Amino acid sequence: MKQVDINVLKDATTRLMFTMSEEQYIKLEKEFSIIIAQMNLIKDIAGVDEAEPMIFPFDISVDTLREDEIEDPLALEEVLKNAPEVDGNEFKLPKVVG
Amino acid sequence: MHILDLTISEIHRALVNKEITPRELVDEAFRRLESDANNLFETSMKEQTYKRLATLGEPEKDNVFWGIPFMIKDNFSTKGVLTTASSDILNGYIPVFDATVVKKLYQAKALPIAKATMDELAMGGSGVTGHKGPTFNPYDIKHEHIIGGSSSGSAAAVAAGIVPFALGSDTGDSVRKPASHGGLVGFKATWGRISRYGLFPFVPSLDHVGYFTRSVEDAAHALNLLSGYDKMDTTSSIKPVENYVKKIHDGIENARIAVLNQVYSSITDAAVRHAFDHLVENVKAKGIIVDFVDIDEALMRAIYPTYIVLSCAEATSNNANLDGIRFGQRKDGETYQDIMTNSRTAGFSPLIKRRFLIGSFALMRENQFELYQRAQKARRLIVDAVNKIFDNYDAILLPAAPSVAPKFNADSDALSDEYLIADNHLAIGNFGGFPSLTLPLGFKDNLPFGVNVTGRPYADADVLAIAYQLENIIGYRNLSTRRMKQ
Repeated sequence: MKQVDINVLKDATTRLMFTMSEEQYIKLEKEFSIIIAQMNLIKDIAGVDEAEPMIFPFDISVDTLREDEIEDPLALEEVLKNAPEVDGNEFKLPKVVG
Repeated sequence: MHILDLTISEIHRALVNKEITPRELVDEAFRRLESDANNLFETSMKEQTYKRLATLGEPEKDNVFWGIPFMIKDNFSTKGVLTTASSDILNGYIPVFDATVVKKLYQAKALPIAKATMDELAMGGSGVTGHKGPTFNPYDIKHEHIIGGSSSGSAAAVAAGIVPFALGSDTGDSVRKPASHGGLVGFKATWGRISRYGLFPFVPSLDHVGYFTRSVEDAAHALNLLSGYDKMDTTSSIKPVENYVKKIHDGIENARIAVLNQVYSSITDAAVRHAFDHLVENVKAKGIIVDFVDIDEALMRAIYPTYIVLSCAEATSNNANLDGIRFGQRKDGETYQDIMTNSRTAGFSPLIKRRFLIGSFALMRENQFELYQRAQKARRLIVDAVNKIFDNYDAILLPAAPSVAPKFNADSDALSDEYLIADNHLAIGNFGGFPSLTLPLGFKDNLPFGVNVTGRPYADADVLAIAYQLENIIGYRNLSTRRMKQ
């Protein structure tokens, strides 16, 4: 398992697209020793690595197809209503290329 | 006593008999909501409610939800009503459609009075992480004790007698634990039984719609209304629904109930153990089989870490759409990446960031097998072990929580059995998608605590029937802080 240090946490926050204060990184690094100890309890289960991963609680097979009905999609103004900034029919963002 | 203090079915009778009008009920609900000091709602729906009142028509004898005031956890999409999931990142977000369960309640002419506070984005069990601050336990006027979460406002509203019904969601125990702390019935049906369309996804393979009532019969009425296939939710079940209200009266003389030794022994609170033992004796006295059975302790100790790994990992991707671009609160930046980073930095609280970091750590290439995939495997073994018990038993009966609601900032040993097992065993119900219900069991220091009954997938009717008998044996029905005062 990868060792946890502040650089690992900072790398993760960059990928998650947010930042934290230095104090928060230090606090979380300390908390990770408990979190890892808890995670290690999973290893104590006999035969855990041989088990099949569970994705859903039980098998669900959907063997019905819904009718191919014509429906009205959301109106454009509805879709854009919650956008913080709109230009015409588009979400407005800073230019990507100059 | 005001008619609003009754259960849904009793209020319904009063409405049909014209002992009260929906307007009088709603007036009283808003009077209580607006004078409440427990910080339990995000957004009042007063304007919409009074508009809806005008469309109700005459009382509908066969529709128990007609004219019933209720509240909605703030992670359900409500058309035209601010919906933030108690997170700053969704400040200003007004959905353009209704969640299926909300739509069903509207169609039944129930009256929504407010969106309820919650732990931010449903990630928490304390009711303290929402952007409006902590929600208090109505049983504690000093505001020292939590109500629990994540469905904190919904639980507090029903416990405080503001409404007889509130929608919640349950990914680990987010309805059933606060139900224990609030002296309520908290139920989540089998995974897939109730549509989740319009519920903000947190961990889709664990997320359930749940709800709070003050009686088991009301919980059955709510399942009659809310269950059923929904083409908008690909995980909703096509299995036919039942008449759950009718079925709660089915005898349970032949029921076989198991108590898990390793969970039972992790509970050290004398009052909880005494009340639980007393219940078991009384159930046995009715001729019902109750056996204490063993389950692998290593599996029980792994419930919490399995939950944390799976939930945090999946939450990182399910909340990736919260970026301030298309909806929600935006913070400016030079580039779109800056906008996303600044919006997420300002929009998420430190506790949410902590969870995302745990999830991201579990998903790192070096850790994926050892953490994420191993947790998926552990989930399989935990569910298999529980299903093996269900081969011989109809239900599992356990105290719902280690004790009464803890105090704010109460310390707990995060590696103790009390924390790992007693405080987190309800997540078994989410791992296996089992129907699971908490109901009041007793009081300690004037705070309630509950007992939980969990059954096989799709045995929702059995769970409700067993819970109905337990409610009769225990004798706590329709508890609220208002009725306790009387």
